[in-house]
Amino acid sequence: MARMKFLCDIERCIACNGCVVACKEGHQLPVGINRRRVVIINEGQPGEKSISIACMHCSDAPCIAVCPVGAIYQREDGIVLVNKDICIGCGYCFMACPFGAPQFPRGNAFGARGAMDKCTFCAGGPAPTFSEKERRLYGQNRIAEGKVPLCAGMCSTKALLAGDGAVIADIFRERVARRGSGIAWGWSKAYKE
Amino acid sequence: MKRAILGSLSFFAFSAVALGAEILRPSGPISPVAVFRKLNALLLDAWPDEGATFIKSVSSFKDYYLYIILGLFGIFLLHYFIFGPRRFLHRGEKVAYYGFFTRFVHWGAAVSMTFLVASGLAVLFAKVFGGGPLVMGLRSVHLAAAFVFAIFAVFLFLSLVKDMFPAPYDLKWFLILGGYLTRKPRPVPAGKFNAGQKMWFWVGTAGGLVMFYTGYKLYQFTAPVSYLRELLKIHLYLGLAVVGLFLIHLYMSVIAVKGALQSMLTGFKDVEEVAKMHPKFYEKIRKEF
Repeated sequence: MARMKFLCDIERCIACNGCVVACKEGHQLPVGINRRRVVIINEGQPGEKSISIACMHCSDAPCIAVCPVGAIYQREDGIVLVNKDICIGCGYCFMACPFGAPQFPRGNAFGARGAMDKCTFCAGGPAPTFSEKERRLYGQNRIAEGKVPLCAGMCSTKALLAGDGAVIADIFRERVARRGSGIAWGWSKAYKE
Repeated sequence: MKRAILGSLSFFAFSAVALGAEILRPSGPISPVAVFRKLNALLLDAWPDEGATFIKSVSSFKDYYLYIILGLFGIFLLHYFIFGPRRFLHRGEKVAYYGFFTRFVHWGAAVSMTFLVASGLAVLFAKVFGGGPLVMGLRSVHLAAAFVFAIFAVFLFLSLVKDMFPAPYDLKWFLILGGYLTRKPRPVPAGKFNAGQKMWFWVGTAGGLVMFYTGYKLYQFTAPVSYLRELLKIHLYLGLAVVGLFLIHLYMSVIAVKGALQSMLTGFKDVEEVAKMHPKFYEKIRKEF
C-alpha cells in the first residue's frame, strides 16, 4: 500500500504562505490554530531559504506513543489522525512531536486546552466520510475525493509535494537531476563539511 | 573645505558602490546540507537530544503510579494485620488540639486535594474512563481544584508553621520510626507534631510550590516546548509523591490511628493519645494548667 508523505522542495519554496492560507481557509480553522506554517532562514539575505512544515505523518509517530487515551492513530496509508471525541487535550503529543504539529484551541472552561487539532493530510477524521461532523471537526476530506491535500494543490511553485512517498521521491529526484545545481549530493557533502 | 567635501563625497560614493556590490553579489551555490542543518535546528529545537527520553519517561509514568498505589495498599494491609491500629483508652478527658481555623482550612485543603488527586489520576489513566468530554471535564476540575487548594494551603501553612520547626528530639523519633513498628504503644519523642508530620509539612510546602508553578506553566502552555517537557516530567514525578503522601495520610488518620479523624473534626484529642504520641506537647499543656 502507498504511504502518504509530504516533501517540500526548498529550492522552489518562495515563502508565499499560500499553503498556510489554503489550509486555514479550506478547513475553516480558527485564529490560533496553525496546521501548517512556513519557516524561513537567512531572511532578506543572500541564501534565503524557506520550508513549509506541518504534521509529517511519521512512520513511528511519537504522538501515538505518548497519547494517554489512544486518541491518535495511523491509517494503513500512513496518515496520522486524531479522534477528537476521545482526545482529552492533555498536550503530551505536542511535547513529543519534533515538528510542533499538534495545535490546541483555548475554548474550554477556565481557558483550558480543547481537543487537539492537526494536519489531517486532508483526509478528514474518524467520523463518517463526508459527514457534517467530519467537516466540522476535521475539515475537508479531499483524499476520499481523490484529490491531493489543499496545501500541495495550491502551491504556486509546486515546491510542496504530497502523495505516495515513492512517487514524490521520484519526482524530486528527477528535479534535482535536471537542476544540475552543481552541488552533488553525496559522501563528501554529507560528511566532510 | 573643498577638499573635505570632496573627501566625504567620495567616501559615500565608495560606500554606496560597496553596498550595492554586496547586494548584487551572486550568492553562489549554498550547500543543501548547510541549509538543512540550519532548518533542522529551527524546526526540531532540542528534540534530537531529548525527544526519545521524553517519550520513554512519559510513557512509563502510568506504571509508576500504578506501582505506588498498589504497593501502598499492600503495605497498609500488612501494617494493619501485623501491627494493628493504634487505639487509646477513652477516659473522657480531652485536650483541645486543633482550633476552628486550623480545622476549617484543613478540610478546605483536604477536599480540594482529594479532587486534585482524583482528577489528576483520571487524566493519567484517561483510557480507563474512555477519554473524551468526561476526562476533559475532569481536567477543568483539576485546574479549578488547584487554585482552591492553593488558597487553603497558604492559610494551612500559616496556621501550622509555628509548631513545625525541627526540634532535637525529632531525630530520635525517626530512629524508632515513630514507634509504629511495635505492637505495644510506648511514648514517642514528639511535640505537637511528630517528626514525620513535620517532614510531610516541609516536603509538602516545597513540593506544593513546585507543583503549582509547573502546573500553572503547563496550563498556560506558552513556554518553549523543551521547557514544557521538563515541567511535565517534574509535575509527574512530584505527583507520585503527592499521591503517596495523600494515601499515607489517609491511612494513618482514618485507619491506623483511631481517633485521629475525630480530633480533626472536633478539635479535641484524647489525653491518653496526646500523652503517648505527643508527650512534649502534653508536658507543655500540663505546665500551663
